Amino acid sequence: MRVLPRIRDHWLLKRIPPGPSVRLDQRRIFIMPTAVGMTYILALLLMLIAAINYQNSLAYALTFLLGSVFIVAILHTWRNLAGLVLQAGGSEPVFLDEQARLRVRLESRGRLYQSVSVGWPKSGLQQADVPAAGACELELSLPTERRGWLRPGRLRVESRFPLGILVAWSWVDLQLSTLVYPRPLEGDLPQAGGRDEEGDEGTRVHGAGIDDYQGLRPWQPGDSRKRLNWKAYSRGQGLLVKDFTALAGHDPLLDFDMLDGDIESRLSLLCYWVVELSARQQPFALRISGVSLDASVGVEHRSRCLRELALFGQQPEGQR
Amino acid sequence: MSSIQPIPRNGLLWLLIAQVLVILPHLSHLPLWIIGLWIGCAVWRIQIFRMRARYPRAWAKALLMLGAAFGVYLSRGSLVGLDAGVVLLIAAFILKLVEMRSRRDALVLVFLGFFAVVTSYLFNDSLLAGVYSLAPVTALLAAMIGLQQSAAGTHPWPTLRTAGSLLLQAIPLMLVLFVLFPRLGPLWSLPQPKDRGVTGLADSMSPGDIAELSRSSELAFRASFEGPIPDRDQLYWRAVTFERFDGRRWSQSFLSQVPQAPEWLPRGAPVGYSVVMQPSGRPWLYALDVAQLEAGDARLMADFHLERPRAVDKPLLYRATSWSQALREPNAGPAVLGRALELPSEGNVRSRAWAVDLRRQHQTAEATVQALLRHFNQQPYSYTLRPPPVGENIVDGFLFDTKSGFCIHYAGAMTFVLRAAGIPARVVAGYQGGEVNPTGNYLTVRQLDAHAWVEYWDTASGWVSVDPTFQVAPERIEQGLEAALATEQDLIENALLDLRRYRDVGWLNDLRFGWDSLNYGWQRWVLNYQGERQLELLSGLFGKADPRKLGLLMIAIAALLTALLAVLLLKPWRRERDPQLRQFHRFERLLARHGIAREPGEGARDFAQRAAERLPAAAGPILVFARLYEQARYAGQAASRAELRAALGKVRRQLPWRTSTAKSRSGIGRDVP
Repeated sequence: MRVLPRIRDHWLLKRIPPGPSVRLDQRRIFIMPTAVGMTYILALLLMLIAAINYQNSLAYALTFLLGSVFIVAILHTWRNLAGLVLQAGGSEPVFLDEQARLRVRLESRGRLYQSVSVGWPKSGLQQADVPAAGACELELSLPTERRGWLRPGRLRVESRFPLGILVAWSWVDLQLSTLVYPRPLEGDLPQAGGRDEEGDEGTRVHGAGIDDYQGLRPWQPGDSRKRLNWKAYSRGQGLLVKDFTALAGHDPLLDFDMLDGDIESRLSLLCYWVVELSARQQPFALRISGVSLDASVGVEHRSRCLRELALFGQQPEGQR
Repeated sequence: MSSIQPIPRNGLLWLLIAQVLVILPHLSHLPLWIIGLWIGCAVWRIQIFRMRARYPRAWAKALLMLGAAFGVYLSRGSLVGLDAGVVLLIAAFILKLVEMRSRRDALVLVFLGFFAVVTSYLFNDSLLAGVYSLAPVTALLAAMIGLQQSAAGTHPWPTLRTAGSLLLQAIPLMLVLFVLFPRLGPLWSLPQPKDRGVTGLADSMSPGDIAELSRSSELAFRASFEGPIPDRDQLYWRAVTFERFDGRRWSQSFLSQVPQAPEWLPRGAPVGYSVVMQPSGRPWLYALDVAQLEAGDARLMADFHLERPRAVDKPLLYRATSWSQALREPNAGPAVLGRALELPSEGNVRSRAWAVDLRRQHQTAEATVQALLRHFNQQPYSYTLRPPPVGENIVDGFLFDTKSGFCIHYAGAMTFVLRAAGIPARVVAGYQGGEVNPTGNYLTVRQLDAHAWVEYWDTASGWVSVDPTFQVAPERIEQGLEAALATEQDLIENALLDLRRYRDVGWLNDLRFGWDSLNYGWQRWVLNYQGERQLELLSGLFGKADPRKLGLLMIAIAALLTALLAVLLLKPWRRERDPQLRQFHRFERLLARHGIAREPGEGARDFAQRAAERLPAAAGPILVFARLYEQARYAGQAASRAELRAALGKVRRQLPWRTSTAKSRSGIGRDVP
């Protein structure tokens, strides 16, 4: 059943090896007539029949002219990809259920490339013009389906320019990837989260974290929707969230093993709290199946923690 | 493709322009209401684009379609046939514009446009029409390109330029296809356009008809001679003979339309020529006496005129050889002669009496004819296109009372008198003379050169042609109608724009001759480039040609041209313009000579490391080069070309010089590490 795609993938791997930068040259571009092109050929056949039946030289001439245009269009369509360089751009990690955004840079080392589409067929292609001897950057969005590394695989590059009767395409593997964090889910942490079990009030981290209203701060991915300040938004001040500080005497420990429920919901809860505590600038520690990160605060700490959550239980991948 | 793709502004703009250009040449044969419909639809479409109007709803569309079909039925009398079909096509072309929402609709419109251009050729295939049609075709291509372009920020001109360059690049290939594509006969017969107002000789004639023709400067045919063009008084182009006379009109006899060649003997020097005749709506071909055709389906009829099975409804080219001295039907049978003696039972008493009298005075038929010609010459007869009215007996009235008329009067009266005198005779209608075009050395014959003359039969010499008009107005024969009618110039229809009007202005006249010659070439080389003519021409070039050979030749030359164009367009010699990449490929080739080939997909660093392990002597420089290359390539640090080259030079110096050891793998130097 799946033999054909595998053969194709193998063949593509040899023909267009993966790499962060791929230049489309003659061996990497495929070309076929589109449905419009088939209609065009059909129309030409009808014209030819009219020319033959009416013995009309001008009708012959027009048919041949349009037929020649078809052949010239093969060259032009093909040329509209040939020599184009695709480079992988960076990407920001996203939370599950958000759209992953991967950047691709299209670079022309010569002529202008018009209407080049790039993307994955299942999520739609994006069109762009690449200026002569210039470059343009596309941000491709892709739905996320599970946490961990998102590797969308080969990217389709196609162009129907100039006439739309032919499509030239290529499948390039820019080794694009992005990290998908678990979906943050609001919830209470179990009481015994502290490092010392003294039962002191200050060690408790309150579930909703609504102890002390601190003010408004800009929204960032992972913030709870419930805490959005809609009034401010309607005044045009942008997305703001109400910020709270929980009382905490000691730095809280987020411990995977202390939680109940299935793995994903535990990860989601931890994810929520990593985001939440980072937003409050509150140091916290994370322990998850043998990895433990000491209490700290800051962007780097946050992303290390989220990364651990995202990659929990997955095969360790190469350096990337 | 997903959902509905909107139509970019550029595409819509070019589509509107293309529509105007496509419909313009059709205007001459479209009913007026179509123009109203067109303007209405165009305005509607623009309003839709400006978001001031809605797309038509389903019922409105249905109503418009039905209305258009009904309109076609009213103005064309049917919904089938070419004329109705063209109106329907144009109506659909117009209505589709309003309804068009998506790119797909727009493409349907473009294809309809191409069809409309093809149908316009059926109505007019002149040189001008052919050249003009490049404009709508370019605009339609521009519309197709516009549809592919990004929605915003594109100007219409670059789109047109792209379309133009596509067309220009397609032209050489088109010419090859046009010349070599084997021409077939019609697969099945199709309705022909009826709309052509055809003027020309008819199968029966009263004097008024020829006078009408004489006012038209429309083209009848053009002829090129293989040798020098014969003198004007030799140029009697026979179209048809009139043998029946009912007292008012001369008409063709059914019996002379038998496709049975009469007996004749070629004598004297033959004259070879080719003729391109305009559509006449009649099956006759024009030829000098007595003609033999080289090819085609036309036959010599019993009365020496050439006729083909179908009417000539588009320009027709044929070659003929004529023997002007030929002896024609010296042994004509009684049936033929009987037809050439028939007269109405009564009327024109004076002419009949005069004929009998004339015959009695002369011994032979020939002498009688000469006497009659002398009579026309010496008596005060005059040549005019405005003859005074004659009474009931037109021959009597002309011969004895008014004594003025033009060719058909003289030919008709002479035939009548000869028949009354017992000499078999008939009226021949055709064209006489023509204008020599010095540019192309050919003859242009117009409707105003229409002429009628007489042929009589004599035992010794068979049929002999005589022209009574020559006796009255020799300048008509020697210089043409306009010279003969110097005082009646106003009768000849000369449009203000007709260049013939300015014949006295030297350069303008040259221009007119040049233009006419161009059109003649167009007809001969382009419009008539069909079946036999193609084979005949190509046989001259390539020896014996047959359709299969032509097809193969066509494919070979077309492939060659395409390859040439591909090289010109894609410029393979400029492929590796990237200097860093070029240096890297040199590095690769260098290492390949030492047996280390890069695996497909292997990165520059991995490759260099592997090479460094295998060639420890050069390990340092190899790694240096790889690092420099990586930095230049990926870290965005522009290592100068000189630096890279220097690093490569160090690698080279560390390695013993060697040519090829490892067979360098195919594909090396292709993919980018």
